[in-house]
Amino acid sequence: MPARARISRWPPDDRGDPLKAYLALVVPDAPAVPRARLLAALCAMLPRVGVADDGAFVCDLRGTERLFGPAERVARRAISACAKTGVVPAAGIAATPFIARLAAGDTPPGTVRQIAIGAERGFTGPLPLAVLPLGPPVVAELALLGLHLVGDFLALPAGAVLEWFGAATARIHALADARIEEDVRGVAPRRRIRARRLWDDPIDSRERLVFALRATADEVAATLQADGQAALEIVVVLEREGRDPLRLVRSLLPPTADPAAIVRSIRWGLEELSDAASIGAVSGASLEVSVALPARGRQVGLFAPDGARAEEAIAVAQFLRTRLGPGAVLEARVVDAEARLPERGAQWRELVR
Amino acid sequence: MARSSAGADLGAAIASIERRFGTQVLARGAFTEQRGGERRLRTDTALDRITGGIAAGVPIAFVGPGTAGKVGLALRVVAGAQRDGGMALWIDAAASFDPVAAVRAGVDLVRLVIVRPRGRDDALLAAGAALRSDGFRLTVIDTGPAIAPAPLRADDLAPLLPVVRGSAAALVVIAEQRASGLALPAITFERVAWETRFGRTTGWIVAAAAGHGTERALFHGDPSGELRDAGTRADLAVATG
Repeated sequence: MPARARISRWPPDDRGDPLKAYLALVVPDAPAVPRARLLAALCAMLPRVGVADDGAFVCDLRGTERLFGPAERVARRAISACAKTGVVPAAGIAATPFIARLAAGDTPPGTVRQIAIGAERGFTGPLPLAVLPLGPPVVAELALLGLHLVGDFLALPAGAVLEWFGAATARIHALADARIEEDVRGVAPRRRIRARRLWDDPIDSRERLVFALRATADEVAATLQADGQAALEIVVVLEREGRDPLRLVRSLLPPTADPAAIVRSIRWGLEELSDAASIGAVSGASLEVSVALPARGRQVGLFAPDGARAEEAIAVAQFLRTRLGPGAVLEARVVDAEARLPERGAQWRELVR
Repeated sequence: MARSSAGADLGAAIASIERRFGTQVLARGAFTEQRGGERRLRTDTALDRITGGIAAGVPIAFVGPGTAGKVGLALRVVAGAQRDGGMALWIDAAASFDPVAAVRAGVDLVRLVIVRPRGRDDALLAAGAALRSDGFRLTVIDTGPAIAPAPLRADDLAPLLPVVRGSAAALVVIAEQRASGLALPAITFERVAWETRFGRTTGWIVAAAAGHGTERALFHGDPSGELRDAGTRADLAVATG
């Protein structure tokens, strides 16, 4: 547990506005695994946690003061929670997510920087332009005009920025000026869906094994259905007596939460094994959903009965592209039906890039 | 709870049936519905008269020498599969698929996925995935010419037969040689006559026959690759090869 997080305020006498508060947590160069743990820790603590384009975590604290206390207390607790995962983030609190991220990026890890409403320009003004996500040509052009600080950039009229640099730069101008705010889309940490069974009497028959695995499939399917998810990929690990575990990875197309479909796929997987006869004595098995997607119904083909199936066909094409690599799953287009050489008549391209 | 218990009972019943009769005997309602006679893939040629159309969940091979019209007819089947908005998968083992000929045969290339496998295993993987999904109405495997360096043979496709029988899609295998160790229904193609004008070959007549039936579907082929329907004949003798 780190020491109590130091809080710096801008302006120094401000106490913040509980009705407009976003908390941003910036973790520079955190690898993927701690990042997932951080997200899980924050989601366990706060109702709405999003991940910004640059990888920063943004928490919407609006309306949470009575439940969680002032924003700076929430920020301190968030830093402590993150520290337990082994990563200490920097925190920023502001009226918009963008300014909160800038504030977090401007303070050392383990500390909180709070920006008052209306004081955004005072905070961002002295920062270099590099803190804004502007393209290098725009930064170079602004430098030619003698503009090096965010304050110089914000002093330009919004209309002129739009006219000279385009809509993307104008949006950054408005975000840095706290005239607009990004929407924080809540994300949920990935939940591990897994079922495991151990048997006192090892199973040495494939048919009996498939039957026994039905219980794990039912358990996994019930969890998937409760979460509104469908499995796209499952991993089955068979624990064998006196032999290494056998691992099967199966893709389910279309993604499904139907236990019968899951069992069918496992059955096919076992049948496809070249040494199917020698699976051996299986004393335990685990079934885990490695990739899940939101479950959805099938679009009804209103004008073409088979038209609604195209999505599933594309899912198969994506699966094949993954398994067979580039250059194997293609689509063709005729560019010149009268070409003298056949190779000039058509163009080929990857169906899935 | 009652629903989950019913689901478990249903699962147990399915397991029992599959254990006793095999995995292909059960299929989802949508599959079975599609396998009705009205959903057969039709080519709008004389071939429909001798086969009744190509049914989903049934494998069939187009067997015959090169330039006998197998690919041309298979392209017509693809066009038939796409008629109701369906997708088709073409496994092009010899990288010989001609998009221009496909468009001439009425194929919509937007709804055709072409897979170029690097070997037998890739071809089996692609065909198996397509046949097990609900997304495709037809899977075609063009094994390519027998003179290819490592040709795919019809016998190599044995693992697909149990899969296609539970599938919503039809499987068409194009091969020069009939499968020797597989019960794969075949339509045999053979050239029965040459057409010449001023001493030059301008076309040929191809006959297609299903199984041991005497009736044959005739097609007129020409060097441009176009295949025209020439009706059926029951008493045709093979004239030349």
